[in-house]
Amino acid sequence: MSGNRVYLKGNEALAYGALEAGLNAYFAYPITPSSEIPETLAKEFGNKKYPEYKFFLQAASELEAINMVIGAAGGGARAMTATSSPGFSLKQEGLSYAACMEIPLLIADICRAGPGLGNLGPEQSDYFQATKGGGHGNYRLIVLAPATVQEMALLPRLGFDLAFKYRNPTLILGDAFTGQLKEDVVFPELTTEHYDVSDWATTGAKGRAPHVLNSLELDYQKHFKHIGKIYEKYERAQANEVRFEEYRTEDAETVIVAFGIASRIAKGAVNRLRSKGVKVGLFRPITLWPFPQSQLRTLASQGRRFLVVELNTGQMVEDVKLAVGTGVTVDFVGKWGGTVPTEAEIESKIRRLEVVAV
Amino acid sequence: MTQVAYTVKLGKLNSLTNTPTHYCAGCEHGTLTRLIAAAVDGLGIREKTVMIDSVGCSVLAFNYFNFDHIVAAHGRAPAVAAGLKRVHPELTVFSVQGDGDAASIGLLELIYAAKRSTPITIFLVNNAIYGMTGGQMAPTTLEGQVTTTTPFGRNVHMTGTELDVSKLVSTIDGAAYVKRASLAIQEISSQRGKVYTIKNILDAKKSVENAFKAQALGGFAFVELLSTCSINWKMPVLDAKRFVYDKIVKKYPLGLYKDTFGLEKQ
Amino acid sequence: MSQTVAVAQPRADVVILDERCKACELCVVACPQGNLKLSTRLNHAGFHPAEFSYHGARGDCTGCGVCYWVCPDFAISEIKVRA
Repeated sequence: MSGNRVYLKGNEALAYGALEAGLNAYFAYPITPSSEIPETLAKEFGNKKYPEYKFFLQAASELEAINMVIGAAGGGARAMTATSSPGFSLKQEGLSYAACMEIPLLIADICRAGPGLGNLGPEQSDYFQATKGGGHGNYRLIVLAPATVQEMALLPRLGFDLAFKYRNPTLILGDAFTGQLKEDVVFPELTTEHYDVSDWATTGAKGRAPHVLNSLELDYQKHFKHIGKIYEKYERAQANEVRFEEYRTEDAETVIVAFGIASRIAKGAVNRLRSKGVKVGLFRPITLWPFPQSQLRTLASQGRRFLVVELNTGQMVEDVKLAVGTGVTVDFVGKWGGTVPTEAEIESKIRRLEVVAV
Repeated sequence: MTQVAYTVKLGKLNSLTNTPTHYCAGCEHGTLTRLIAAAVDGLGIREKTVMIDSVGCSVLAFNYFNFDHIVAAHGRAPAVAAGLKRVHPELTVFSVQGDGDAASIGLLELIYAAKRSTPITIFLVNNAIYGMTGGQMAPTTLEGQVTTTTPFGRNVHMTGTELDVSKLVSTIDGAAYVKRASLAIQEISSQRGKVYTIKNILDAKKSVENAFKAQALGGFAFVELLSTCSINWKMPVLDAKRFVYDKIVKKYPLGLYKDTFGLEKQ
Repeated sequence: MSQTVAVAQPRADVVILDERCKACELCVVACPQGNLKLSTRLNHAGFHPAEFSYHGARGDCTGCGVCYWVCPDFAISEIKVRA
């Protein structure tokens, strides 16, 4: 696959990206619009091209799947599962436990409209659940947001790298649109390196003290310290792992902030407006957590206005407001229910912002 | 006194840490801990054994066993065990679970682990009640038994009848070894009058060993251990032991429910 | 804990870790020879730990190990038999 240009669906690209990243074990549960991920991985099981790919199983529920991932990852393997929004809710328990036990695992959420059963259209309404910690307790997920099928192919590698570097679950937050979209992909080299898990994985206590992966700590002082140490990791991640893309922001008076499929539409709106002489640009976070706070603050200090475009009723807009501080215009275009805004809707909002500004 | 040379016939087990347990006085969890440690030592597999701790009275077992542990969420131990075993088939992976963990919230994980012939070992400590959380009804609570959520006695019209977990697991094709044993001492009549026998504990000891052997042969092993909960049953320890043989075994008969590898014939 | 033993060479010895005993009395009732009873001492947890005497109510200790297997707290930590 590497080096070749292949025409794939987003979900397929994610699956192949995980294989190229050295996936060891995948535990599945089908749910639309993410099912192509386990289907692709089921099909490729036994393919000698991927010597690291050792195990595939369809579990009996999302809960069983995430707990199997925890077991495999606890043993130091690169383990993954994927789901969509209703399944993501089910997996929150597992993610809370994994974060506390510092077990690295990769999960993908191909977000669809909610709440409840919703529908199969794209939404970005799992942003809160993903970035604020949808499960109980103090923790964070590292959250990566692909916007193209190419990124769906590349982010699993980054996802595993960050998961093992910080010993924390990592989420690829996609959406139904990007999951179903078909585009060209060029794959990177197949990964052969192994992460060093020797000081924590439960591989059998031979010649060493036992490793215990545990989230229960009845001594309150000890638990305070344990979570404090985890948050030191998060501070390091905030300082070092922010990733984003800026498009035509150098002289932009209005900066659109969007991720995933919303950023593709926003990019189209930027080009449309630029051709009409409107100074607008796009800031696209690639890591939703850690969130690019300081980059947005810098843009704000340069006097920009912000328009957040999301497929929800207003989630990332809160983080943008927090990042840029008071006295900065942050407006919002939201679309939910499984549909997307048009470039025209974004354009008319920016025009209205300009009128207000003058 | 003359110096006598002794050999240690029964002594320290490498698979046990020296930490005193938190279990209540007379609780069979302690007995099971000893039997598991003895089996792991006897089979020489301590360095490649991983325990998946579950949520119940045994949740602190990582303090007592001297090998690797992953502490699973409530009911999920068979899934965590399966995930670990599949990427590390050289390890011996087992769990100890209570009635609620295995037969209530975790029933799906238990049944599917059996269904897939997952080569892991599950020990169910059945004391017909939820111990750790303070004595609520379990799927295995007997009809009429008083618990904190069945204060007038368990009403089977409302709550359903008792769940016979060993019988259920034995109907799953993928299970290779299914046994119900008892960890409680039993009062029996003998020439000396009423005495207490540990024959059930010794039979449970063999069952624990067989359950690990079944895993080594590639099969799914399940052992249900009838136990007491004198605190939540609100009985003195010996009365609780008597309750097991007067009432509980009548509902959950001891015995071998499945033995694909013929381990008990050896 | 030394005890007065009538025979020159006791056949077996039982080592009990006082601090681990929770006085459940399972060893007391299970021992076929009656070699175990709760002592009058108190351990730090407030239990009267079990104590072993080679000459029991029904006979001398044979080192059968019943007490070892029945003790849920590993307080009965070693069964020694004459070499």
